[in-house]
Amino acid sequence: MIVAKRKPLNEIAEMLAPYKKVTVIGCRSCVAICLAGGEKEVKMLVSALKVKNKKEGKKQEFEGFVVERQCEKEWIKEVEDKVLGSDVTLSMACSLGAQTIGDMYPIHLTFPGLNTGIFGVPEEQGVWSEKCVGCGNCIIHTTGGICPISRCAKSMLNGPCGGSANRKCEVNLEIDCAWAAIYDRLKIQNRLDLIENVTPAKDWSTSHSGGRRTYVREDARLTPHQKKGKEAVQ
Amino acid sequence: MAERKPKVIGFCCEKHGMDAAVLSARSGKQLDASVRIVQVPCTGRVDGIHLLKAFEDGADAVFVLGCLEKNCYYDTGSIEGRKRVGYVKQMLTEVGIEKERLEMFNSASSNAWAFPDAVSKMVDIAKKLGPIGGGERQ
Amino acid sequence: MKAKVQVVLCRCCTEMPALLNMERLQKLAAESNNVVSVMTVDAACDGKNLAPAINEAKEKEIDRAVVFACHKKDISPAIVKAYRRAGVNEFLVEFVNMREEVVLPHMSEPERAQAKAETKMKAALIRSIMLAPLERQTEEMKTRNVVIIGAGVAGQAAAHEASKAGVHTILLEKTGKSLKAPGIIMTNAQLVGASGYGGNLQLKIKAGEKIENLGAAAVVIATGGGWTTLKGPLAKSVKDAVPLYKFYEQMQTGSVPKGPIVVVDTPDPAGKTMKVQDYAWDDTLETTIELKKKHPETQIFVIFQEMRAFGLSELAYKEAAELGIKFVRYDKGGAPKVDPKNPGVLMVKDFAQGELLNIRFGTLVFASIPPNEDNKAIAEALRIPMTMDGATRRGSIQRWPVSTPRSGVFVCGSALFPKSRDVAKAEGAAAGAMAGEFVKRGRIEFGGIVALVTQEKCSACLTCIRTCPYEAPFIGTASKVEIRVQACQGCGMCVGICPSKAIELHNYTDDQIAEEARVLLGGDF
Repeated sequence: MIVAKRKPLNEIAEMLAPYKKVTVIGCRSCVAICLAGGEKEVKMLVSALKVKNKKEGKKQEFEGFVVERQCEKEWIKEVEDKVLGSDVTLSMACSLGAQTIGDMYPIHLTFPGLNTGIFGVPEEQGVWSEKCVGCGNCIIHTTGGICPISRCAKSMLNGPCGGSANRKCEVNLEIDCAWAAIYDRLKIQNRLDLIENVTPAKDWSTSHSGGRRTYVREDARLTPHQKKGKEAVQ
Repeated sequence: MAERKPKVIGFCCEKHGMDAAVLSARSGKQLDASVRIVQVPCTGRVDGIHLLKAFEDGADAVFVLGCLEKNCYYDTGSIEGRKRVGYVKQMLTEVGIEKERLEMFNSASSNAWAFPDAVSKMVDIAKKLGPIGGGERQ
Repeated sequence: MKAKVQVVLCRCCTEMPALLNMERLQKLAAESNNVVSVMTVDAACDGKNLAPAINEAKEKEIDRAVVFACHKKDISPAIVKAYRRAGVNEFLVEFVNMREEVVLPHMSEPERAQAKAETKMKAALIRSIMLAPLERQTEEMKTRNVVIIGAGVAGQAAAHEASKAGVHTILLEKTGKSLKAPGIIMTNAQLVGASGYGGNLQLKIKAGEKIENLGAAAVVIATGGGWTTLKGPLAKSVKDAVPLYKFYEQMQTGSVPKGPIVVVDTPDPAGKTMKVQDYAWDDTLETTIELKKKHPETQIFVIFQEMRAFGLSELAYKEAAELGIKFVRYDKGGAPKVDPKNPGVLMVKDFAQGELLNIRFGTLVFASIPPNEDNKAIAEALRIPMTMDGATRRGSIQRWPVSTPRSGVFVCGSALFPKSRDVAKAEGAAAGAMAGEFVKRGRIEFGGIVALVTQEKCSACLTCIRTCPYEAPFIGTASKVEIRVQACQGCGMCVGICPSKAIELHNYTDDQIAEEARVLLGGDF
């Protein structure tokens, strides 16, 4: 899932300093699960900022709550009054949420409270590691189920590189060499022949390098006739 | 100017934490009256929200007192309590509040000195650092 | 319905009035919202004193009470019981410790103590109004089965003891060995799965090739230590090393072991995982003393990290040393290992002298045994925690020495850590007695102060499930978390950690805790 991390509180406080009335909106989805922007984190953030203001003799008004999924307009619409009634909105969701609010109310100021992040897998409670960078063309069936784009520091398709030593990566000594892991995996699957295939250069147009991507399901789209009468929330 | 009386509050578990507090009182130990106690079933119940709110509501220093980690009545409760305190200490540092204002203590129920030690330590910190934002109390 | 509070002020004989102004406290109570009765007693701990208060509670239809006295644990059972007779819900009777929080510790500051007492009263009365009545529930146990896993010394003792309580014992033995014990015996049987909770467990047992389902009210884990396996680098390098118990057995048959005899505390001396327990010393000393007396010419060495002969076995340590048994202490930096050039020689650095010793040995004996590999499988099946060394974890060495943190699941013997047969038998009897007593009740009681999930707020993040030591939260049919109330201990760990604040613990909700703290901090003292 999307994993994000709260910005340092002093950075958030600085962002919000010029404004009197602040609405803090979290999300019950990914950021709640990765312990960054759920109701608890929202409440703690508001309290911490109030304590800071107490120290500095400042006065700001805060209101904090969560919505089910901040990237969906319908849920933002439900709290429109609270958004527009504030001087600034601090989003404690991933940037998708922050931008959704921003796109819906372009004149109103919506700031990000979190730094997004990674597509992360919970390795254990409290530890999320990146296993996908969204290249748009998944090849893990050829690499024993291990993604070389995300887990190899050089994103090599025909690894390992010459610097791999003792199953560790030469670029980042903290991480394991993904290709050593791929080798081990293909070996136990009896598919080591795959590693000898030369994978040609990747077509990166399906990834972010090709520009902003949009995924469409034509059959799920509403026809103009279906949309009519629902213009309130588009 | 009226003398500033420190405000210290402790979240104590109802098991070994309160046992230690009661034992110290029954042993005749005298304490600074500034300390307030809120009882919780286990320090694992303590939420960072409570700790931060205590500072909002005027606490100069806050502590959490639970069982010794190896003998917590609820197995791993005081380990959780310690983690909550640690996280809020980090938040306090990020907003420029001295992290010494918040502390975690552990005690066996048979230790008559643990509670007075914790209280005097936190009262000293409250006196040294003063109220958050300084100045008179409301 | 409007709350009706009765306040009981206890004089603690003379202690309270000596420091506090009781009239002011009585007045403050009487003027507070929702308080319809204020009673003052000499000693709340004496049941007779309460009768007038209880009578008034009945008359005025009190629904909640706040008792200002001493430590809750000392007085609450009797008082709660008395209030129950007056129709007051047991969870609406609150206790405020004036004696140990306000009077005893502030004897030289009467004004501050008074202000503190009044603030505490204010906070307690506000809290009392916020409380909700809670109910405890009971559930009948569907069976009277006590399933004992392992038919060794401990398991058999457990079976004997449990059956005295009139329950049905079922002994599961992994091997096919023949046994005599009360109740049902299943050989070639292993526990492979379990669900439910103490009182009503559903077990999956693999008997031979079949899987059988069995309901049980309690389980006793008596799987023993890893007696048949010696794991560790030292055990690997000496092929005919023997565990101590086997060495002792051989001695009894009259066979003369090949000297010099070297007893090492563990087959993994430089390792982190193995704990060497009291068993090692008790039986090591007994064995080596007996051997030395029988064969005074045989050289005996005992090589150890920590000598922990407990109780009177210290005298055995003295006796052994006087008989000429050589004790060599080492630390991890100079751990014993077999000389690579000479397989019959053990090299170890003597901690006291700092010298490297080369000890020739004829027989190598290991005094401690690694944890049983089955422990992990059993722990996974029953969902109970393990220790860092791979043994079954017990609830608390003081309060529940033969219980796991999971209600209805008991543990004894070397499944906890290696111990001598006598101690294992005693523990088995203890666990069997506990299990028998638990099951004899025929029902389990739970509820009251337990966690409750608001499913609409739950993000199904699994944090509570991973944190709870009692396996109370679980993913329910709505793909959201539910609480297995029968297992919930009311600690509130899950409540404090839930990132979506979906779980609450009555009567310790966030609002209740925050409000109490706020009022206390607002007091001027």
